[in-house]
Amino acid sequence: MSVTPEKKAPGVRVSGLSVVYRTPTGELPAISGIDLDLVPGTITGVVGESGSGKSTLALSLLNAVQSPGRISAGSVEIDGLGDVVKLRGEELRKARGRHIGYVFQAAQNSLNPLKTVGKQLLDLGRSHDVADLRGLVREAKDLLGRMGMDGARVLDSHQHELSGGMRQRVGIMFALVLNAHLVVLDEPTTALDMITQATILRIVREVHEERGLTTLVITHDLGVVAEVADRLAVMYGGQVVEQGPTMEVLGAPRHPYTQGLLRAIPRLVGDIDEARALPGRPPTLGTIPERGCVFRDRCVLRMDVCETEKPPVVSLGASIALCHAVEAAADRDGRADIPPAGGLQEVVGAQGATGVHEVRGEQP
Amino acid sequence: MITGKNITKTFRQRGSVLAGREVRALRGVDFAIEKGGAASFIGESGCGKTTLGRIIAGLETHDSGEITIDGTPMSPLKPRQREPYFRRIQLIHQDPYSALNPTRTIHQTLDAPLALRARQTRRPRSWVDERAEELLALVGLDPAYVLPRYPHQLSGGMRQRVVIARALTVDPDMLVADEAVSMIDVSLRLGILGLLKDLRERLGVSVLFITHDVATARYIGDDGELYVIYRGQVVERGHVETIISDPVHPYTQSLLSAIPVLHGLEQPGEQPVVPTEALDESHHDAGCLFARRCPFRTERCESELPVLGRAEGTPQEHACFHPERRSVVATPIGRG
Amino acid sequence: MTAPVIAAGGGRAALRRNFWRGVWRVLKRKPSRMLGMVIVLGFAFMGAFGPMFYPDPLPRDTAALYAPPSWEHPFGTDFEGTDVLSLLVTGSRYVLLTALVTAVITVVLGAAIGLFAGFRRGRWDSVLMRITDMKLTIPGLPLLLVLSTIWKFTSAFEMGLVLGLLGWGGVARAVRSQTLSLRERGFIEAARGLGLSTTHIVGRELLPSMAPFIAMNMLIAVTGAVYAQVGLFFLGVLPFEANNWGVMLNLAVFGGGAMSSPAALPYLMAPLLAILLLTLGIVLVVDAMDEIFNPRLREE
Repeated sequence: MSVTPEKKAPGVRVSGLSVVYRTPTGELPAISGIDLDLVPGTITGVVGESGSGKSTLALSLLNAVQSPGRISAGSVEIDGLGDVVKLRGEELRKARGRHIGYVFQAAQNSLNPLKTVGKQLLDLGRSHDVADLRGLVREAKDLLGRMGMDGARVLDSHQHELSGGMRQRVGIMFALVLNAHLVVLDEPTTALDMITQATILRIVREVHEERGLTTLVITHDLGVVAEVADRLAVMYGGQVVEQGPTMEVLGAPRHPYTQGLLRAIPRLVGDIDEARALPGRPPTLGTIPERGCVFRDRCVLRMDVCETEKPPVVSLGASIALCHAVEAAADRDGRADIPPAGGLQEVVGAQGATGVHEVRGEQP
Repeated sequence: MITGKNITKTFRQRGSVLAGREVRALRGVDFAIEKGGAASFIGESGCGKTTLGRIIAGLETHDSGEITIDGTPMSPLKPRQREPYFRRIQLIHQDPYSALNPTRTIHQTLDAPLALRARQTRRPRSWVDERAEELLALVGLDPAYVLPRYPHQLSGGMRQRVVIARALTVDPDMLVADEAVSMIDVSLRLGILGLLKDLRERLGVSVLFITHDVATARYIGDDGELYVIYRGQVVERGHVETIISDPVHPYTQSLLSAIPVLHGLEQPGEQPVVPTEALDESHHDAGCLFARRCPFRTERCESELPVLGRAEGTPQEHACFHPERRSVVATPIGRG
Repeated sequence: MTAPVIAAGGGRAALRRNFWRGVWRVLKRKPSRMLGMVIVLGFAFMGAFGPMFYPDPLPRDTAALYAPPSWEHPFGTDFEGTDVLSLLVTGSRYVLLTALVTAVITVVLGAAIGLFAGFRRGRWDSVLMRITDMKLTIPGLPLLLVLSTIWKFTSAFEMGLVLGLLGWGGVARAVRSQTLSLRERGFIEAARGLGLSTTHIVGRELLPSMAPFIAMNMLIAVTGAVYAQVGLFFLGVLPFEANNWGVMLNLAVFGGGAMSSPAALPYLMAPLLAILLLTLGIVLVVDAMDEIFNPRLREE
């Protein structure tokens, strides 16, 4: 594998990023004030439901938010590229592909059905002024071979001749073939079945390590990020409500949304009756509350202050949560971790039973 | 009660490139679903589980074999005579976005089948609106909110509940839920699964659940029967908890191994099974259909086709020459 | 449950009210749509009531043949000294009525045949589509020429009938392909599974989904019919007895020599402008059809 030595995994610093969409009722925020660091060489998973703003965040990394949306504030600093939000036109086009590889949502359907994969590869090379097209094809074949496919055959194929899992791998090849070291995968396994999903996730992990990438995986499926990501950011209503190392966030979730989401996932083991869906429904663009906490309508730990005040950023160990209740608990206990170390059942049990009332009791 | 004996189905592809290519969707499947019972079909996409579900719901024909509904075999009947039988089996589509007519309000959507029902059972017209509200309340929706709205004004979870309410308008004996939660927000999936379980308990409706995610199959009832389907053949069949905790067929084991592990909360199973290659439908195997992908295949597997049967020492049925228990499922950390 | 009971009748009336309110909202969204609507309604009014304002026969001012535009005669006068505007207005009824009849026949026949073929599939589909293909290969103009030797087309209904019977092929094909794709949708399959009648499925589930498409075709058929008949009269292949835009064009060009002398130019321009304006109005209204019949776009 030919990795140019001077390039290495870039770091990414998203700060204060806001995107608004223009609607007949005024400009509505899709994401507001997001701070997120992608540590060089790690896989970060962003997980969220519909309307959480996760796809908007992904598009912002390429400064590719489409009208009627626009980035209204904040910056996206990428090492070796500067602030992407300030890039325009040709610079931006070159940056996509060369610096940032993007695997689109439903990559299975994003290939041109009329052209072979090889032709589309050459088109990509020409549009990025690649001098050595032979080298590009060689690189593509290497990558495809690395992902367990017959490179020559795949390059000669049309979209309909490839299965869903194969198309997804072709999408990953396109994202990497120009030697980008920052890769964004938007819903990489949606519409694939379990075995194919596992294969794709393994490939993502392996390629990430071999090529020294910084990777961002966007998904609605907590299982996917749990399987693949080093760090995890949970999004809800246009905000990152909790982020930190995957093991920590999943092992000891702080934010009530993360806790609820974990409880709502069908599992293979454990008591069926302990699992339950979150009440209510995710917010949409128009129903995200303007003031206070975005999650309060579905929250079991809701307090009066959640209605009016934006939740504080509470640092706990290596992770961060945006929540009034977490802060109150931290103040009360004089320590960060409300839940005792251990499994999820205890966490939820403790708060569901008594934690709520204690927390509320402290409010004036 | 609905049973199927030796159901087969072959699709012949038309069109220029693939003309004449045959896909054997079902290769002699047997099944039996009790009144009020629960069953799940699991397998990869293209394994035939959806086709079988559609055949059971009367939306697709099969090539050979016999389907019997409440003791009446269907094959001697004319299509028109079969209709009332199949009407008692209602399909819940995977996609709640296309399952509701975007140009009709929920009130209109429920009104049509209920009005028909009222005519058939000689009930007064006023019963229709009462029943519509009753059904929406039953599926956990607020009738006053939902009735005057169009589908696009509801969330995915609410739509799926409306779809279920619409299926209940004909007082069905069975619901066939084809990937009914895969397009719904994660935080709301359990709500739909819980509703199906609830409907079983309260109305005695049996539920056939079709999914590629084994974990969801547990939530429609722990008394459910699980059918693991691979390339049109049932390869393992038994009680849902038995198969999840003690799978013996390598294909079932690879399905279970593929479920993502929540690192930090769980630790992966000790003996995960990974297929040696990807699914390729074009293979014409003489022996076991899974042999080509199976890490444990022997010569016998490549020449002889194992049939589904109960082997000694296992409570479930399986179609494997070398059944063996393997620890493939992730276990929670820090319990006890 | 304490939820208010929505009575079937009341519910339907409320829906209808909401629909028209939605239509109003959609039209207001773009000024161009309002303009289009005003133009189309203006022509409809002109065709329906315009001729009532003029005496029959129209007065002639023999002192002013081919008079230039003036306050008295905004488009001048024709070869007999008749006011061109009055000719335009009295002639509009025939033109617009023909267009309406043509559009209705085109759409009703085309949609019915397309729906039936697409929904039934199989043998019915093959037979109907072969008939459609055959129909599409019949050249319209020569047939009209032949027919005009037997028929005088004095009535707008006769003209509309012939044009309509010649025009439904394209709509039938398009509606059929829409039906074929819609019938695979979950809600149609569900309706069948619930045992709802074919009449209900076709009339209440399929047709409304295709409403924008059908409405657009109908409006476009109107312009098509206007062009076709005006063209026929202009060419002079049809004998004419009444006022008609096509007749006006014919007389202006072949009688008045509008192509070479400026005197008959206003006489030529008046019907041309009318046709242009009507087409513009329809094009502007067509733009709103998708939003009118799609509840999602209508309500937003």
